[in-house]
Amino acid sequence: MRFSLDGLDGATRTAFENDLFAIADSKFVLGNWYARCILNGRSLPDFAALTAMTGAAYGHTRSLWQYLVNFGHNYGWIERGRDATGIRSMNMLDGPPADWADFIATTWLAEQATWMAVSGYLYCPDRALAGLAEKIGEETYFHLKYAEGWMEIMSESAADTRAFAKAMEKRYPLALAWLAGAKGSDALKKAGLRNITNTKLTKAFAAEIEQGAAWAVKKSALSGSPPKMPGWIDAHRRAAPLPDALFEAIRFRDPEAAH
Amino acid sequence: MKRKKIQRKREIGGATPKFYEVFARQTSDDPLTHVGSIEAPNDALAEVRAWYIHDEHEWRELCVVPTAAIIAVTERGKNVKIKEV
Repeated sequence: MRFSLDGLDGATRTAFENDLFAIADSKFVLGNWYARCILNGRSLPDFAALTAMTGAAYGHTRSLWQYLVNFGHNYGWIERGRDATGIRSMNMLDGPPADWADFIATTWLAEQATWMAVSGYLYCPDRALAGLAEKIGEETYFHLKYAEGWMEIMSESAADTRAFAKAMEKRYPLALAWLAGAKGSDALKKAGLRNITNTKLTKAFAAEIEQGAAWAVKKSALSGSPPKMPGWIDAHRRAAPLPDALFEAIRFRDPEAAH
Repeated sequence: MKRKKIQRKREIGGATPKFYEVFARQTSDDPLTHVGSIEAPNDALAEVRAWYIHDEHEWRELCVVPTAAIIAVTERGKNVKIKEV
């Protein structure tokens, strides 16, 4: 039977839409992180990797935005019609990277968190979304590998290890808050859209990060529940609107250049 | 103006360059063919760089081999190795 959003009740449909917006918009800002840091790459092959990851992150964003048209939105509005208060990216990506270690730590956390969220749709009854999730997974593999390669290098330097640990202690709670803050997303499991609860996804994320960052960060520094964030907006999965300066940096100015 | 000194180990990833050979095939019938070489500080970044730099085709198989792992049997300008008595 062909999948249709019309078969979903109001609350599930809203939770589904909110979840996809949160993922797509986070990838939108993440793509900007890559784009802005291309010239901070350490070598020519690094520039190539960062450029490709920029393209992939924008590609994931636009594919998810395109899917959100099914919810009755106009694509032009999704891409260029929303102001800073309408962008639903994770708070973790609000502040620019302080150094290379912070860049690697933050992009790694963002890739892991968004992949955890997307992976829940690998067996979605809507084959279009399941296929998209699989494609995102294939490309995310290399994004994570890139971060892992740099972590291996940083692990050989005490100064880089300290910088990475400092970045993780600042950024990780915000990533956890984003993933754990998906209110109503367990309705997605009940409706069969996802095959896993959000609680399990959050636990899997925490376990993955603890293991991957063990070379720099003690488990105790990462443990604990997600922080309470004042001004948290459930539907946007973030506290407070996107900072204006960041919005000015990420928004598409020329509609023609965006295609 | 003072020029920045590159800290090769911290910024590029290794004290000395490490090279990898890239092999690929487009279909399972094709032989695995050498498509290029890359420099990378470790296996993970070699995998990523090979994937992004050699993306001219949708490969069925793409792999990297550390150049140091290749054992030369013959080389250009040299005779076939023989066992000395």
